[in-house]
Amino acid sequence: MTTLKTDNIVKKFGGLTAVNKLSFSVDKGEILGIIGPNGAGKTTVINLIAGTLPVSEGKIYFSETDVTNKAPHIRNQMGIARTFQTVRPLKDFTAIENIMVGSLFGQKKDLKAGREYAEEIAQLLNFKNINKPIDELTVLELKKIEIGRALASKPDLLFLDEVMAGLNSEEIWELIEIVRKLQQQEMAICVVEHIMKVVKELTSNVVVLENGQIIAEGPYEEVSADEQVIAAYLGEDY
Amino acid sequence: MNSKNIILILLAIALVFPLFAGPYFVNVLTTIFVFLALSLSWDMMLRTGQLSFGTAAFFGLGAYASAITVLKLGWNPLFSIVIGGLFAGLISYILGYAVLKLREIYFSITTLAITSVFSVIIRNMSDLTGGAGGATFKSAIFNGDPTKIYYLLLFLTLVVIGISEWFKRSKIHFAINSIRNDEVTAKSSGIDVFKYLLLVFVITSIIQGVIGAVYAQQYAFVEPESTFSLNFLLLPIAMALVGGIYSTNGPIIGAFILGIISEYLKLIIPYGHLIVYGLIIVIVVLYMPSGIYKTVKGKMLTNNGRRESYDHT
Amino acid sequence: MSFSIKENKTILFALAFIIIVGFWQPNVLMDGIQRGSMYAVIALPLALVLGILGVLNLAHGEFLTVGLYISYMFYNRFNLDPLLSIIPVSIILLVFGGLIYLLTVKRVIKEGHLNQLLLTFGISMILLEGVKMIWTTRPRNVFTDYAYASASIGEFSFGTYGLIYLLIAVLVLVFLQLFLKKTRLGQATFAVGQNPKGARIVGINVNLVYLFVFSISIAILGIVGGAMLPRTAIFPAVGSPYSLKSFALAAMAGLGNLNGILFAGIILGIGEAIINAIPGYSGWADLVFFGVLIIVILTRAFREAR
Repeated sequence: MTTLKTDNIVKKFGGLTAVNKLSFSVDKGEILGIIGPNGAGKTTVINLIAGTLPVSEGKIYFSETDVTNKAPHIRNQMGIARTFQTVRPLKDFTAIENIMVGSLFGQKKDLKAGREYAEEIAQLLNFKNINKPIDELTVLELKKIEIGRALASKPDLLFLDEVMAGLNSEEIWELIEIVRKLQQQEMAICVVEHIMKVVKELTSNVVVLENGQIIAEGPYEEVSADEQVIAAYLGEDY
Repeated sequence: MNSKNIILILLAIALVFPLFAGPYFVNVLTTIFVFLALSLSWDMMLRTGQLSFGTAAFFGLGAYASAITVLKLGWNPLFSIVIGGLFAGLISYILGYAVLKLREIYFSITTLAITSVFSVIIRNMSDLTGGAGGATFKSAIFNGDPTKIYYLLLFLTLVVIGISEWFKRSKIHFAINSIRNDEVTAKSSGIDVFKYLLLVFVITSIIQGVIGAVYAQQYAFVEPESTFSLNFLLLPIAMALVGGIYSTNGPIIGAFILGIISEYLKLIIPYGHLIVYGLIIVIVVLYMPSGIYKTVKGKMLTNNGRRESYDHT
Repeated sequence: MSFSIKENKTILFALAFIIIVGFWQPNVLMDGIQRGSMYAVIALPLALVLGILGVLNLAHGEFLTVGLYISYMFYNRFNLDPLLSIIPVSIILLVFGGLIYLLTVKRVIKEGHLNQLLLTFGISMILLEGVKMIWTTRPRNVFTDYAYASASIGEFSFGTYGLIYLLIAVLVLVFLQLFLKKTRLGQATFAVGQNPKGARIVGINVNLVYLFVFSISIAILGIVGGAMLPRTAIFPAVGSPYSLKSFALAAMAGLGNLNGILFAGIILGIGEAIINAIPGYSGWADLVFFGVLIIVILTRAFREAR
């Protein structure tokens, strides 16, 4: 049973087709890379699958259930979680409270259980100062609570949208280790990245987008040698 | 002296107040309770990020619903107050269902419009409502006994304070704040934004309806112009801004400060004393977004006050 | 976003509507056109500020009230004919609007809708109560002989004063078109309306544009005020309903569609006039605008939900 399957999903914004008949799938414990030049539609795909945007055409299947018309909060409760390209922390809350939002509503836990679960997630992420307010956090910490909030809803499918951007080598490796731990827990993970080193390290399979369509699919080594991909991508290298 | 003790002392004073104060002061405090409840209810909606101009509208609806059940159906005034609240809640549910899918100016403008709409409708259904001239009841609730009315409103105000605190301490707090901070993130984290907005909208409208009903029963009189008066919109907003929005304490403090000032203003400036509240709103929005009370308190403790805007966008 | 097919259908329906009303009750048609033009001229400045500054001025109607009272003052003290007082009043309101912008609106432009709405709400209360303080609630009236001028077409005679609003509306629209296309400040204004950040990068003084648009919008209210004076009983809350009615028109016509506002205004004006003419139901006439507002908002809600 595949965790995620999209069936020819299309997204049009007025006259502009941002995503054009996209079909792909992700399995349990698989890490799929989604790459492509800027404007290729990568974040739109995440928005479509997470439900932030409705599809214009096509279907989305999550664990064999048709979620195409389900609201984003329902999809999150069912097990789809995502991070945002620009971190969006909730300014009125501390770090741990940010993570708690995921466990309180993604999992519908009560305040006490929600907090406990959030603390476990913080542990998993090596997050030390859980009671710090948002404006005192470093970039890495902000990324961690973004991931933490997504993880706290106990997803079976996780989208990481350019989560490595703005981090140094050490920090990137730390996150790579964390993603590997998640993979061991049989989570299906989609990683949208511009940093090819990360894609090479983490992913078993890669899907290349250009102008809203998949132009290549396969393991990183194959795809990175593909002429079409190189042409589309010219220069986006870590 | 910690805050729990302060609260208990204030509560004790409130409970025995009518025993040693004359009817004028009891009436002043009763009126403060009315506006306090309205102000808190406005703030509770504001915490979700939506600015509602509908306090006077639901206040008036509750007043009229209660008036009609007493005048036309002869029901018990206390029961009619419940009806007032429920009716306001019903209308707000229907309205909210339609309009809460939109945000910001469309929601705010609709709440501003409904006051006029209800007023026009009530004015025109004169058989039912007494039309533009209004309607008077045979007697006020509790036969006008100011002490009983005082305790009724004290009780209701404590309930509203309780609801406000519940919103702040329970899981709902996380939902409301997340929605206000970043709706998209809230949605993606499993929060049913629409459900929570509708819930808060209906609860706050019920509060406004109940308070309106009590007010109508207290004065034994409804009339479109005074029942839907801007007073019941302007003052609650000014009070919350003065005391500090997004809090339970803020509207309480604001209600007392402005409630007492208002008594003097009415005497000094016969026409247009409401101008002060307009000025307060403008000044607070421009210079003291965290409220006059907090700003002054902050300066006194030489705190490093940060400037916050109301919307965290 | 293009509405061409839809727009043509709407225009055809509207023309049919106008012709039918014209034959059935020509008085109502005349009344409607005159009212409607008045609503449209009042709505245009609100739409301008909303479109270019992105601010919904809840004090819009109260500025109109101020314009009416100042015109009244000129009539009362200097015996100045209301239509002539348009000149000084619009200048006074131009300056007044500019001051209000510089002191208050400017500071909340970047602060988001909540603060802007609260601010303009506060200003509307200040203006409303201020007028009450100075002039009390006693209604004022001005009498001129031309206010009740009439003309006739065959058997049908009608009041002609209200056509002045149509004239003003057309003049304002023409002026705006020329201004936006032919003058530098106009082109800058247009740019800012489209994309304020981009305009700033290109070196346009966005703040100056905002100041200008806001001031002109209040000045236009001064012009309308002078024109309204001969036919309107003035009291403190006289202008207040126009804030919402103007927003209803602006929302109905669609942001940026200024010509559409005149069109929508006339249709709604006729609608209001029809209800007004039905015996026993005239009290409900005000609801025409609110009804339309609710419908427009609901249509949007459904469109956005999908």
